[in-house]
Amino acid sequence: MDRLNFIHYFRILLGLLFVILLIALFYLQVMQGSYYKQIAESNFVRLRRIIATRGEIYDHKYRSIVENVPSQNLYLITGRIRNFKALSDFLTAEFNVGGEELHQIIEKTRFRSYEDVIIAENVPYETVLTLSEKLNYYPELFFRSETTRNYIFPNHFTGYVGRINEDEYQKYKDEDYTINSQIGKTGLEKFYEVLVKGRDGREIVQVDSRGRNLNLFRNDSTIEPENGLSLVLTLDNDIQTYAESIFPTGMRGAIVVMDIKSGGVLAYVSKPSFDPNVFMSKISAEDWQTMNDDVSKPMLDRVIHAAYPPGSVFKPVTAGLGLEKSVINQYTLLANCVGGLQIGNRFFKCWSSAGHGRSNVIDAIKVSCDVFFYDLSMKLKLEEYKQFVNQCMLGQRTGLDLPNERMGFFPDTEWYHKTFGKRISILGHKVNLAIGQGEVLCTPVQICAFYSAIANNGVWIQPHFLDKTVGKNSFSGQFINPVKHIKLPINSQNLQIIQQGLFSVCNVPGGTANSVRVKGATTFGKTGSAENVRGRTTHAWFSGYIVSDTPEITVTVFLENAGHGGGVAAPLATKIMNYYMGNYQSIKAPVQVPLQFLEQDMSTLEQMPNQNANILPTADIPAEAESHD
Amino acid sequence: MINKKKFDYTLAVLLIIIIITGIIAIYTASTSKIGENISVKDYWWRQLIFTFILAGVLFLLFKLPMPIFDVLVVPLYILNLIFLFLVLFTPAINGAHRWFNIFGFSYQPSESAKLLTILLTARILSKEHLSELRQLIYGFLCVLAPVMMIMIEPDFGTTLVFWISLFAMFAAAGIPAFYLLLIVSPLISIIASFHWMFIVLWIFIFVLVLLWFRLSWVTVTVSTILNIFLAIIMPVFWGGMKEYQQNRILTFLDPTRDPLGAGYQIIQAKIAVGSGGTIGKGWLEGTQKNMNFLPEHHTDFIFSIVGEEFGFIGSAILLILFFLLFWRITLAIREIRVRERKIVASGIFGYLMFQTFINIGMNIGLVPTTGIPLPFISYGGSNLLINGLAIGVILKYLNERGFIK
Repeated sequence: MDRLNFIHYFRILLGLLFVILLIALFYLQVMQGSYYKQIAESNFVRLRRIIATRGEIYDHKYRSIVENVPSQNLYLITGRIRNFKALSDFLTAEFNVGGEELHQIIEKTRFRSYEDVIIAENVPYETVLTLSEKLNYYPELFFRSETTRNYIFPNHFTGYVGRINEDEYQKYKDEDYTINSQIGKTGLEKFYEVLVKGRDGREIVQVDSRGRNLNLFRNDSTIEPENGLSLVLTLDNDIQTYAESIFPTGMRGAIVVMDIKSGGVLAYVSKPSFDPNVFMSKISAEDWQTMNDDVSKPMLDRVIHAAYPPGSVFKPVTAGLGLEKSVINQYTLLANCVGGLQIGNRFFKCWSSAGHGRSNVIDAIKVSCDVFFYDLSMKLKLEEYKQFVNQCMLGQRTGLDLPNERMGFFPDTEWYHKTFGKRISILGHKVNLAIGQGEVLCTPVQICAFYSAIANNGVWIQPHFLDKTVGKNSFSGQFINPVKHIKLPINSQNLQIIQQGLFSVCNVPGGTANSVRVKGATTFGKTGSAENVRGRTTHAWFSGYIVSDTPEITVTVFLENAGHGGGVAAPLATKIMNYYMGNYQSIKAPVQVPLQFLEQDMSTLEQMPNQNANILPTADIPAEAESHD
Repeated sequence: MINKKKFDYTLAVLLIIIIITGIIAIYTASTSKIGENISVKDYWWRQLIFTFILAGVLFLLFKLPMPIFDVLVVPLYILNLIFLFLVLFTPAINGAHRWFNIFGFSYQPSESAKLLTILLTARILSKEHLSELRQLIYGFLCVLAPVMMIMIEPDFGTTLVFWISLFAMFAAAGIPAFYLLLIVSPLISIIASFHWMFIVLWIFIFVLVLLWFRLSWVTVTVSTILNIFLAIIMPVFWGGMKEYQQNRILTFLDPTRDPLGAGYQIIQAKIAVGSGGTIGKGWLEGTQKNMNFLPEHHTDFIFSIVGEEFGFIGSAILLILFFLLFWRITLAIREIRVRERKIVASGIFGYLMFQTFINIGMNIGLVPTTGIPLPFISYGGSNLLINGLAIGVILKYLNERGFIK
């Protein structure tokens, strides 16, 4: 054998492989060509996504707030389109999806054309029946039974879901979303998207047009979808419905009810409200325009997405700082109120032109004497003031589990200098801040959380909706989104002084909310009537809480341009407090866990991976500064 | 300098024809036709640009004096090893660390490693006065360094290419075939261990072949016992594996077990090729392609598009083109007179042929999915450049042979 022998081996190998491939190709294409052609033409073999059922949302007694209901959706497989004109005419006539829109859909999906694209959602069942005959002419169209969301009552906290848009798709496409996926757009649906979404399953479709299994694969290894987790909220549907029902018609404003001991939100009302169900089918451009253009802004969540001057409900903060800095004590009498106070060349008016005389801090809170707080504020430093306000979790996001919460605002020297120039005297502004006017802005939920903290002996608890999840896994709300507990910078003695002030507002003759009485509990509270640039009528505020054996609930009522807090807002709060105490037994009754949630293994709670740090996306925080009302 | 008389025009023209075929295939593979709407992605002209870059690089290669070319091999090999190491720290794409992204183009160091490893291994194998055993050991070491790092990426398919080209080089280096058989035998024993009949048959053939090579009784006995031991121990080892590990191996060998993953792609590719029939569905008319059942079919599954749109005739023509190219390379190997270069050409022959046939085999469901692209046809810049350079090296050797003693 000569040394070139290996080349022969190479050639033999080359020839052998060549012949093998040629024979295999011949067998596949020439002998079996028509078999595969048939499979190819009818798309018998493809991967299909089994959509996971989205988790539902319940109140703390497992009553529905958001539920899934069956719906019929029309899908299009663009790769099957044969006659574009006919399809376009048909869709225009039946679903008002015109040629231009159809072109866009095709353009969008051209390189993933075996994916189905949704054309029409929530098609009424009668339409499905009448169209089923016609659909035989359009093999590219088909109906699929899926579920859609039903929101039990109009509200601002559940948010709503919608089809994923291009930006969201680009952002989340690696996380199991398709161009047809539903995604939470606002509210809890958005905030807890990760939990409620679930994981879609996959199945392989390999049956021919007569339903025979093609047996191309060894097994039908279907991946079952993993349904989303359902949320159990701290909310109470009864209190929510009641608060909704007593809200004066035609008015704008918000009501927040919070459980003092847990920080759980019991009722969350923002008016005027909108029905999230309108987003469940394709919303027309006009409807969308009307909703957005409405001067009363029904889409605006007034509990967290808008910040207002708090007015007199802010006075306990000023009082707290004065007491903490030992500028005053329980008995200190400050300037004499003669219906106002002369500071420099300006006369600052008290709300009562008759005047209150000289008062101590408790009386000043009781009658809401502005002059007392004007005088107090002059003894306080603005920087300390701001720091204190922030430590009271005002002018700070509370961290309520909803997206895009607003911060509210409290100014500091730097801000004044930047806004008004360096030569401005801060004194006049500070005087206004003391009574919750001027530049300070708060959201109703911040006020509510602050009053809860006063009731809770100075421990501020982060307000939240989520109590726990049920479904495949049961996580506590605490695990998913740890509830912060923060000690207010007010010691217990001073806290008692403030509490005493709040008590006398409601229970001592001459108090600004003397009518707030509740059977079976002691009431505490503070009214507020905040002047604002919106109109001549003041914003009406009332924030208060009730204590039976233990602190019970805090109710914060806010009404835009409605008048005086004592006259308009306080009565609503009284009603809610009375409703709560009147139905105490049933609200506090032990909850019957529905059977479907009992079977789950509660032990999953302990063995969960430690991922709570990044289980939720950080809320999208708008970058622009908080603007003023 | 290009010596016009000695330049292998046939090989060069074959290369050009195959690359043009590739660009045509990429054009249709990245085209989507819905109704009358046709949209094309820009892969085809990017490939065209790469082709021009390749032409430029090849021109420089031919201009490069041979001594400089020879000197460059070792430093480039070491540089490539460094790149292979660094690429492990890049962010993962589809779960693997294989690419550097520079100015929107991606560079895959394992591609250049194929050619450089061949050049270096050939250099070492042709050192004078090396015993056959030393050649074997050194050859393994040269290949082991890049292969280890590519395994970490991970990219199992690519490592196979290295081993195959190493074997081709061993063959060219004149290492007797029984050595190679001895090396491969444990692998065959493992595969044969699935059934006792196969074991018996395999051992029987094994012993016969060894005897035919007139090996010493000691060698035959030791290697036979070793192989029998392996074949017997394998089922025990297999039983000790976790079920998911077994499944992973079985799925690699038989992708149809995994209809939602690799199996799905293979079946769709097979349907595409099969449905092409004898004459194909016609230019841009591939329904499987237009329905997009196969994601990214301009890369690993491009042959399925050729099969679908041009049918058996088209596929056969492409096969014949490849056959002619490889045949021409064997001619070149015979004509090259320097031992080192002969070994290099053999390694290149092994690596290109393996990739070609494995890829086509994968597209028609004969072999498992390995993520190996089809040389000169699949879209990919670094892939095209390195494969083109490999042919370029052979052309250069042929061209320069007159200058050697």
